[in-house]
Amino acid sequence: MAERVAIVGSGLAGFVAYTTLRHAGLDPAEITVFGDTADPAGAWRPRAAAIRQRLMRSESDGHCYPTSFPGLAAREAVRRRDLLPLVRSACDRYRPTVTEFLRHVEQLRERSRWDDSIVPRRIKKIQAVEGGFELDGYGAFRHVLVASGHPGLALPEELAADRRAVHAYEPHEYGAQVTVVGAGMAAATEWLNALAAGAEVVSVRRREPVRRPLNVARHLFTKRGLAGFYAASSERRVQLLHGFGEPSYPPGKAWDAPLERAAREGRFRVEQAVNGAEQVICATGFRRGFRHDPLLAGLVDEHGLQTEDRWIVLADDSSVAALTDRTRTLALAGVPGQWSFPASDTLIGMKVAARRFRRRVESCPTR
Amino acid sequence: MSYTLRGRIETRLAGALLPLFAAAIAAPLLHKWWPLELAGVMLAIGLTLDVLVYHRLLSYQPAWVALPLGLLELALTVAAARLLELGAPLRPAVLLFVATWLLTQLLAHGVLPLLRLTWPEDGGELGRTGLGLSAAAPIALLAVLGVAWAVEPPTVRLAAGVHEGPLVLDHAQTVVGEAGAVVRGGIQITADDVTLRNLTIRGGEYGIEVRDAESVEIDDVVVEAASLDGINARQSELHVHDCEIRSLPDAATQGIDISFASQLPPSVVEDCRVSGGSEGIVSHMANVLVRDNHVRATELRAIAVTEMSMGDVEDNLVEDALGVGIFCGDYSHCSIEDNRVTGMRPDPSGNPTRAGLGLVAHYGAIATVADNALERPPASFIGARIESP
Repeated sequence: MAERVAIVGSGLAGFVAYTTLRHAGLDPAEITVFGDTADPAGAWRPRAAAIRQRLMRSESDGHCYPTSFPGLAAREAVRRRDLLPLVRSACDRYRPTVTEFLRHVEQLRERSRWDDSIVPRRIKKIQAVEGGFELDGYGAFRHVLVASGHPGLALPEELAADRRAVHAYEPHEYGAQVTVVGAGMAAATEWLNALAAGAEVVSVRRREPVRRPLNVARHLFTKRGLAGFYAASSERRVQLLHGFGEPSYPPGKAWDAPLERAAREGRFRVEQAVNGAEQVICATGFRRGFRHDPLLAGLVDEHGLQTEDRWIVLADDSSVAALTDRTRTLALAGVPGQWSFPASDTLIGMKVAARRFRRRVESCPTR
Repeated sequence: MSYTLRGRIETRLAGALLPLFAAAIAAPLLHKWWPLELAGVMLAIGLTLDVLVYHRLLSYQPAWVALPLGLLELALTVAAARLLELGAPLRPAVLLFVATWLLTQLLAHGVLPLLRLTWPEDGGELGRTGLGLSAAAPIALLAVLGVAWAVEPPTVRLAAGVHEGPLVLDHAQTVVGEAGAVVRGGIQITADDVTLRNLTIRGGEYGIEVRDAESVEIDDVVVEAASLDGINARQSELHVHDCEIRSLPDAATQGIDISFASQLPPSVVEDCRVSGGSEGIVSHMANVLVRDNHVRATELRAIAVTEMSMGDVEDNLVEDALGVGIFCGDYSHCSIEDNRVTGMRPDPSGNPTRAGLGLVAHYGAIATVADNALERPPASFIGARIESP
């Protein structure tokens, strides 16, 4: 008899799925979470620290609670007896601090009894079996949500062996001359960080950065925008997803003013190639595509799953159609789930995948 | 939030349910259909904007946008209520709108996301509940408005020109005058649920005489040259709004006299202008609310609450009155606040109770006064008391 539910991945996407399932009434004993670490923010925390992130990036009220309301803004308003967080949230300007967010994760971790469900093992293989999925010798599960996260940091090949190079998401200090490769949010953050540290900064980028509030337009977070996305052909969907993945950061004076000032002072310039700077920071994000994730690559190869470009093709509810029926579910959440929800790597995207997975678990006739 | 069209409609309907229910209860209690009609108009305007404007213009709607959209809908609702002559008084109508708006915000940002986890990503759609709501709402709304329309008192329109009176209104009805409509010889009301609107009444003993009638509305009416009182009500409950009483020919006439109705709910006189006569606005043995009126050039008292009446007198302006401005007399209980009395003249009789006083409590009356602007301090006589709250 297969166990009930497994979550593969113990990062934030797995954590959001866990709290959503617990909200549905599942006991910790009914859920098994496989992952490298018991800390749901274990992967995210050092990256945020590396780029000196102090505020959460999203303008929306991102959190890990299973329900959208009350979120961090409402709770802060009650705690401080101050309407300001709610007003900011209403204007899409509420950005809790990283410290507050991490405290929230820690509290929810304890309250949801997350640690009761953790098995500290990395799953390397998922095998479809009768009535469920065999997970790497750890037993069979009827419903499996794969939230394996980003498949590693992306470093330009020519810099992979360069001793001057460090990835933005790895711990680092700033030298007197810093070259930042990339044109997205992390790169923009590093420009400002290095300038604030007194460095002279060279931005190396292949194209001008896109300026937009969020990578994915807001209407694509709901049925309204998704209807058009789902109706698009595979080629068009691939094209759209590539567009959403283009490096970008938000418009606004907070970004532009320090750069303009530094440019006037001769401390910031743009170049086409890495020069002889003493330090090169690669703000080049993550490796992209299922091929970089051995677990997903194996899953695709072994079961002959449909793929398009670098994405695994998913049903609209984030499940892998070829391996999902009324009695079993294989679904993807977080970064690998982009085919069904373009903003799947955001907290809201993780929540959407979790809710869809929950619906499948609840409607399973073998319950 | 990025609403789908269906999501907008279903969320709108969910928000309108409770106000419609409240209006359905309030209407029979008030003997008025305007709460239901107003709730229906609000919903109809909202749905029309949802379909024709909001859905097209707002692919994403930040929460703060609900505020300007709410103000727009309020303005359109008030305009529609005027255009359709719903007879909804402004303050309760705005209150109903604001309550509905707040409820919808509460639903959209708190209750619905809690009740239905996928509500945000479903673009405001409510699943099967929403479909049921969408199907039932128009039927229910049409049924309610149909009943309202069917049983609502008939409306009689008086064309411009002079109509010979006296008119006797002995059953529920609404009489609306077109611009320039004049009734000569007065109007007598002897039935409940009568509304007079936009009329000039000229002459007659009483301009408007109300007898044993409740829920009488008198709105935007001019009464001139009545030989006794401008408006005289006995054992009745009425709401007089935006009236003008003028050219009272005799010092013994009164502008508005509401009497012998202590067992009935309070009558209201507001936003009226009364000029001349013996007493401007007076109550005997009645419950009254007298506010925001302008009374001037009276010979006895400008505003009087007397003979065991209970009255609130608020925000009135009294000018150029002889003897007494505001009077609380004969064991009445009065709350008198925020009034301004100016240009008082002493009575030539030398009577100290009529010495050009702005506010007088007399013969066992109790007046609670606050924040009145008077030229002389208030005075009490023969066992009456003046208190501060």
